[in-house]
Amino acid sequence: MATASTPDADAGSQDRDELPLAPTVASAAVAAAVLLPVLWLIRTGFDVSPTSAAELLSRPETLRVFLNSAAMVAAVTGASILIGVPLAYLTVRTDLPFARFWTVVIALPLVIPSYVGAFAFVSAFGPNGALQRILAPVGVESLPTIYGLPGAVLVLTLYTYPYVYITTRAALKSFDTTLVEAARTLEHSRWEAFKRITWPQVRPAVAAGSLLVALYALADFGTPAIMRFDAFTRVIFVEFNSFGDGRQMAILLSLQLVAVTLVILTLESRIRGAEVQAGAGRSTDVVELGLLRWPALLAPALLAGVSLVVPLGILLGWLAAGGSTVGQSLALEPEYVVNSVGVSAAAALATILAGLPIAYLAARHDHPLASAFERVSYVGYAVPGVVLGLALVFLGTSYATPIYQTLYLLVFAYVVRFLPQAVGSMRTSFLRVNPALPEAARTLGRTSIGAFRHVTLPLVAPGLFGGAALVFLTTMKELEVTLMLRPSGFKTLVLHIWTAYESGYFGDAAAPALILLGVSGLSMLVILSQEGYNVK
Amino acid sequence: MDDDSASRRRTRRRFLGTGASLGIAALAGCTDAFDSGEETTESPDGDGGTSAQIGSGRSPFSDRENVGGTPMSEMPPMSGELTVYSGRGEPLVGTLIDYIEELYPDLTIRPRYDSAANLVNQIITEGQNSPADAFYSVNAGSLGALKDEGRTEALPDEVLSMVPEAFRDPDGTWIGTSGRARAIPYNTDEWSESDIPTDISAFPDQEQFRDDVGWAPTYSSFQAFVTAMRVLQGDEATREWLQGMLDLGVKEYSDEFLVAQAVADGEISVGFGNHYYTLRVQAGRDDPPIDLAFTENDAGAMFNVAGAAVLDTAGDADLAANFVRHLLSSEAQDYFARETFEYPLVPDVDPIGSLPSIDELNPPEELDLTQLSDLEGTIELMREVGVL
Repeated sequence: MATASTPDADAGSQDRDELPLAPTVASAAVAAAVLLPVLWLIRTGFDVSPTSAAELLSRPETLRVFLNSAAMVAAVTGASILIGVPLAYLTVRTDLPFARFWTVVIALPLVIPSYVGAFAFVSAFGPNGALQRILAPVGVESLPTIYGLPGAVLVLTLYTYPYVYITTRAALKSFDTTLVEAARTLEHSRWEAFKRITWPQVRPAVAAGSLLVALYALADFGTPAIMRFDAFTRVIFVEFNSFGDGRQMAILLSLQLVAVTLVILTLESRIRGAEVQAGAGRSTDVVELGLLRWPALLAPALLAGVSLVVPLGILLGWLAAGGSTVGQSLALEPEYVVNSVGVSAAAALATILAGLPIAYLAARHDHPLASAFERVSYVGYAVPGVVLGLALVFLGTSYATPIYQTLYLLVFAYVVRFLPQAVGSMRTSFLRVNPALPEAARTLGRTSIGAFRHVTLPLVAPGLFGGAALVFLTTMKELEVTLMLRPSGFKTLVLHIWTAYESGYFGDAAAPALILLGVSGLSMLVILSQEGYNVK
Repeated sequence: MDDDSASRRRTRRRFLGTGASLGIAALAGCTDAFDSGEETTESPDGDGGTSAQIGSGRSPFSDRENVGGTPMSEMPPMSGELTVYSGRGEPLVGTLIDYIEELYPDLTIRPRYDSAANLVNQIITEGQNSPADAFYSVNAGSLGALKDEGRTEALPDEVLSMVPEAFRDPDGTWIGTSGRARAIPYNTDEWSESDIPTDISAFPDQEQFRDDVGWAPTYSSFQAFVTAMRVLQGDEATREWLQGMLDLGVKEYSDEFLVAQAVADGEISVGFGNHYYTLRVQAGRDDPPIDLAFTENDAGAMFNVAGAAVLDTAGDADLAANFVRHLLSSEAQDYFARETFEYPLVPDVDPIGSLPSIDELNPPEELDLTQLSDLEGTIELMREVGVL
């Protein structure tokens, strides 16, 4: 029998006084490792002479781009929630046809690098773009401009809403629907039941996902540049690419982003609200869409169409227009696929392992140290990739020379960068588990580790796999850190796409992009199929 | 019940696993279809010093046979391991490096590709533990930046003498391998060459270009051009020029290849860019309405070079210097001319197609390319005016 535990009932597990030793030590180690690069950044950033720093920061131009970024981030986050949450509900709780297929497709935009997506949109909808050429005979002279804030928000939303989707989905999967049934018997309509029962329990997951979206939008270089929108990252980019003091200045500005991240994190903890724990995670109730069943397919189909078909179509167009004009150096090799998948899988595994103690502590124990560890895990995510890459180059060459430019340091870099994706997803899953269950297992003779393995772990599986999926997909398309820390000669699909793109041979970017999509989709399918633990 | 679902799960897992691996294998197999392998034509001759051709041996503009300069067969052989940090892209440099590696059986070259700015930052951050031996860059500014940080070593005189003085560092710490001229791509449907001013300072006054001109201010070559203008004409004049262009309604693009494409598309009719982007557009399309005009004796006609340097962290400095020497061989110089339409810097190798020869260009004579490393001041200025 499942009951919604009230905070009073399990006061025993909300331990203010005592944190379990092993998870705490593990969390502290992970948090320290993640903080190391940032410490170097702080040291280097403050090498900049205070006068030039103050001068740059107080310029009205700097304030303007900062506000631009703020507006963009707010819009992208709002839009992602509006898209991600209903879609998650649609694919988890309703009887949508081909739900599994749509699950993969809806999450797939995550694998497309932002500059490819932005570039494709400009090619499709910009002046003299593909759509313009198609509509010209009909007499349409010019389309509304794709550049600027609307375009940047559109592109960023389309390629980051999967964060909200995946985390919300994981929460809904471990959601105890008997509560909803109970509400329905008490004469609540579906909408009221959603508002009063489902939403408060799903809210932490939505908050976790939106946090990822907000921070990603804040630190993204490519999209604002291509959409000709003056975001804060543009300033960092220009500084980074000028020599002399530029490097330190870029680092100082990145620290500003970190400061903003801390602000956003505080905001999010307010929005998170009281975190109610739930019951046994039964998900048997399915909402019947009835007449809307097939028309409901329009929503994911439209979304997939815009976010996936546009870049694919553009790329295929370039390919058909005869892209491959360069020599052997741009030929695609199977090893790129193996490298991409291998290193992304390693990153996903490492991140899950690293994040597990942090997520567990943060969910189970209402202790300032536990939430501090969790906050720290976000710091690496907020730093722009190039800057973080540089920090790890320094740490690698100064303190860890044997592993510099090896895969070990590279995977570590991915962990630092993407830890919050795993932590957020796992933490919300841990919240779903009624602590009475592992306690019951303990009274039946299991050790605490055994109780964790046999009782808690299967229950949090959706969160684990959701986090793994996120990290896997994001690593598949990660560029900046990979460029700096990869072993020389280590080639991945994304590096290949970037090389072709940078050199202007867009046709050569088409095949690897298609393969990237295909491989990521397949891998997603495999990962998500492991989610299906049925707890009786 | 449990057995049923468990066994169903196992079968499902196996099916998915097999399906996934088959899918990936099939995809990987399919990639052969995308192999656009071009063979290198001829192997180098042992005697007589005839040079071979690297790459496709075909250019959209003209075929040509043997060129002047020093062939690789007359250069000291290379052996050992070399790590090269290359700010020039893999499609270009990869073919060249593969060719050199195949030439010497005991040689292994480990190239690392990234943007020049990233690599400079990386080399500086790596410090003395850097694995890099040589640095090959797309513009002189980054080479100057490394020299300013004291990370470069002087090249041997016999390498330095292969290229005219104007195209290398006066202190001998880096040498240019190929050049690019700043130029004005223009749309031939709208203008003829005589319509384009030959004085860069005149551009803000050209009413006929209002809202019809484009540039790429975040692009490194453009910033080098602005730096040159600052060096030659001073900050005040540069500020006025930038402001004048903004008032003229100049359009911004994220790189100069896009500017050239926009000119050919008719989106704008005039632009600022490196000469080879226009040639690439001409090579990639069927007779597009775009051609090049050049200004004279000012920053707008600046001639910048891609170049290479030996780093102070080089394991074998002689090997690294020899690598730089091979970039100046007739094969390599000819390759740059044919593949990326750049200007060879070795005097006896001609540029491709109908490009004016270096003598016919009029770059500003007083410009020292190492001064282009002062990018910070340029960024400042561009920010002040509101270009960046």
